[in-house]
Amino acid sequence: MTQTISMTINGGIIGPIDVPDDLMMISFLHEYVGLTGTKFGCGAGVCHACTIIEDRSDGTAEILRTCINGVERFNGKTLRTVEGHAVLNADGEIESLHPVQNAFIKNFSFQCGWCTSGFVNAATALYEKLLKSPIAKKDVRTAIENALGEHVCRCTGYVKYYDAMEQLILETEGLTIS
Amino acid sequence: MQFNDAVVQWGADSDFVANSKDPYASWRMIRVEGESSTSTDTYSPMKNGIFFPTYRSHKEVWDAVAKQSGTVAQEGIYWADQIAKESENTGYVLSKTFKTQTIEPMMMEPEAANAWFDPSSKTFHVIISSQSPQDMYQQGTQMLADSKFKTLIDNFVVHAPLVGGGFGAKDHSIFPYYGLLAGLYASAPVRLANDRFEQFQAGLKRHPFTMKNKLAIDPDTKKIQSLISDMDLDGGGRVNFSPSVAMVGATAIQGIYYLPKNDLQATAYPSRDPDHGSMRGYGTIQAMAAMEMMINEAANDLKVDPIELRKINAQRSGDKNSQGAIPNGTSRYVEMLQIAEKDPIWVNRKTAKTKFDAENPDKSYGVGFSMVTKDYGTGANAPVAYVNLEPDGKIKLTVGYVEMGTGTMTAQAVIVAKNMGRPSDEIITSEIDAWQTLQLEETDSPYIISQDRQDKMSKNPRWTPVETMASSASASAYFQSFATELATKIVYTNGLWPAAVNLWKTKYFNSQYAAISFEEPDRARWVDGKLNYQGFPPLSLEELSGEAHRLGLVTGAMIHTFNRWAWAEGEWEILGQRFNLAADAIALRYGTGATNQQKALLDNDGFHLLDRRSINYPKTALNNAGVTYYTPCATVVELAVHKGSGEVQLLSTHSWLECGNPIVKELVEGQMEGGIAMGIGHTLHEYLPLYEDGPGNGTWNLNRYKVPLAKDIAVWNQKHTILKPLSVEDPPKGCSEVVCIPVVAAIIEAIYQATGKRFYHLPVTPKDIKGEAQ
Repeated sequence: MTQTISMTINGGIIGPIDVPDDLMMISFLHEYVGLTGTKFGCGAGVCHACTIIEDRSDGTAEILRTCINGVERFNGKTLRTVEGHAVLNADGEIESLHPVQNAFIKNFSFQCGWCTSGFVNAATALYEKLLKSPIAKKDVRTAIENALGEHVCRCTGYVKYYDAMEQLILETEGLTIS
Repeated sequence: MQFNDAVVQWGADSDFVANSKDPYASWRMIRVEGESSTSTDTYSPMKNGIFFPTYRSHKEVWDAVAKQSGTVAQEGIYWADQIAKESENTGYVLSKTFKTQTIEPMMMEPEAANAWFDPSSKTFHVIISSQSPQDMYQQGTQMLADSKFKTLIDNFVVHAPLVGGGFGAKDHSIFPYYGLLAGLYASAPVRLANDRFEQFQAGLKRHPFTMKNKLAIDPDTKKIQSLISDMDLDGGGRVNFSPSVAMVGATAIQGIYYLPKNDLQATAYPSRDPDHGSMRGYGTIQAMAAMEMMINEAANDLKVDPIELRKINAQRSGDKNSQGAIPNGTSRYVEMLQIAEKDPIWVNRKTAKTKFDAENPDKSYGVGFSMVTKDYGTGANAPVAYVNLEPDGKIKLTVGYVEMGTGTMTAQAVIVAKNMGRPSDEIITSEIDAWQTLQLEETDSPYIISQDRQDKMSKNPRWTPVETMASSASASAYFQSFATELATKIVYTNGLWPAAVNLWKTKYFNSQYAAISFEEPDRARWVDGKLNYQGFPPLSLEELSGEAHRLGLVTGAMIHTFNRWAWAEGEWEILGQRFNLAADAIALRYGTGATNQQKALLDNDGFHLLDRRSINYPKTALNNAGVTYYTPCATVVELAVHKGSGEVQLLSTHSWLECGNPIVKELVEGQMEGGIAMGIGHTLHEYLPLYEDGPGNGTWNLNRYKVPLAKDIAVWNQKHTILKPLSVEDPPKGCSEVVCIPVVAAIIEAIYQATGKRFYHLPVTPKDIKGEAQ
């Protein structure tokens, strides 16, 4: 059985395209769209390596796991994957990275990189949420824990991901309130 | 098929295959010191050699007749008996049995392999996620040569991309070979990829240990008198690295301590569990954590400060290890302990407990300390490196080591700067094929080759004990860096430096009127990317490389090295000069201005393969040393145990690491942080039952296997101290494994301090602790 789906990913329209009914979103990204930056970790929705962002029409965003959600869950949605955060030039080359990406690189946050796209997406969603709704400085660590706490990393011990986000949030004007 | 029990049709019951197999390996390290810790041993593996048991009913039997002046085995058994008798008469003896679990390495990228055949070029390709792609190149070639398709295949290409975590479990795994096999019999390209259930089911696991340890200490001097240990390892269903893990476990248990006498046995048995392999820690996280728990318990029993007891017994430089070998480098254990004992967590632990417990009546506070030293290297390391300099100054570095997240790519690029003024512009890791230039021949196992055989074979200038090595054993920081630095040194000495001398002589000195000698290339310094020497105008790499090319000097060097706890050193002739260099194969590239005579020496790829004039390989007896390169690490942990639930909450950690000169400090910190998390998982969270209920049944994944999350590891309260090296010349040390070990016994001791309960198994769960908190 197949279904016809379409969606917007990283600003580009995908579909309409026929896909199997039981196709998982991560397989759709890999095999149909050619976006392999989203990684398969556990396939059970636990490790969060496969996290992507759904941007809603009301300006909010939701973090979703693609290994446990079928492609139909994303039909008609507007999505961002790790490939969608950097600013590209006309030739598709990276002109500048997202502040979250820069913070992770500057702080040596990731090692093997398999969990990184999930961390980038969750952290980016937090960053953008704070741009709209700044929080008190004393609440920054809790906000980071809530945003990243379920993500599994086996290499880094998490410290440099967390330090990078704390530093970025505290140093970026408008993300916190006195 | 997955989770469908009806798919498999079972036949009649039969005995387990494992029950019909002998142990995978047995080791025994017996040592009795001589007059002192540094003098000739009375008996030791280094002095006397190693002996092995016979196997009866698939169990090891050490059946040599004890005899003080007999064979290696007879003398060994004699001294083992003496050690056992003496330990019974020592004032304080701690006898404990420790059990550790098997765990899943849980690298984030499950194993995968792509394979396809390109009939137009008669080329078979594989892409593998592996720490040992060079092994696939050798063994896969053999598989293809033995297959019925051999007449169809002219070329075999192994593609080795970046690896999404390995931790040893992608070293000599069987999985890539299934990928190759699938590709051979498929009519289209094949992708074989484990899902996480399959990875739990079939991937390599950490060896579980059962250790019966007996530690004898003089209660007056507090000095260790002897250590006896009998270790059983479960090696799983197929032999992987079990023999080696058993040996490393036995040699590791001494930790940072000097043992005047030891009898250390380790036997790896087959079982019906999934294969147990070379996971991070490699026998040492099991053995050393147990030793550290015993030291903490002994300190409590003997009423001595745990760090003081460690200082009394820590090895000093020159003290022999449990095999009778002298560890390389300087022992800084006492210095580290002196630093650690001043840490506020340690100093204030009693008052902190009183305060914390009063403020948190539902919890109990504890502090624990541990310090270990972990070997790095395999005793047969063979790093390779190739550096090439373009006329415009662009540097390209190629190494065999695999990047699996530890930062090899960054660190090796940085190593280049020492001799070439800046990091390489391009780096290729996991290179497999390029080393064919060196035409190396490997004939024997480097671990069991006789001295006579090695002497005979080494006369062949193309012979080497080991052609390639896996990316394992914390080997990149020291071993790969050594090869990378040596390759750049050859280009510097024979290319950049003479180019600089020529420029300085011709452009910046009145050479037609006076002589000047430039005989000290090691005194030149790179400053801001330019080479400086005694006030002459600094020269950029672009200027130097252009001149080196114009003059036909050495502009590229490919080298192969070998280390058996010491480097092989050969005599070489380069551009008419003799050098002693720690390499056993060298090929050079010359600049574009090379003479016709030089060009005549080049192969089709533009390399001049040198013939070594002589070679000194480390003696084969060094195999008995077991290990000699060590990196120490200490950790203090403060935690709270919830009295009702038994949950352990880490409050903070502070770790100290002595790793020589760190190549990139942030990468070392990352290893420390990741290691602590993995050690915490091993201590408190990660557990797989053996056999039928274990991962082999295909129902295991992260839904029931808990790895540490950020909330489990005191993510905001970790502190790391990297000891200042003794000098800028201290080589970097391998540290990726040691960093996960001391936290284990530190946590167990902290739980004891919080609850009064000692544990001798891992992991320690809330269920174990529940009800025990004071």
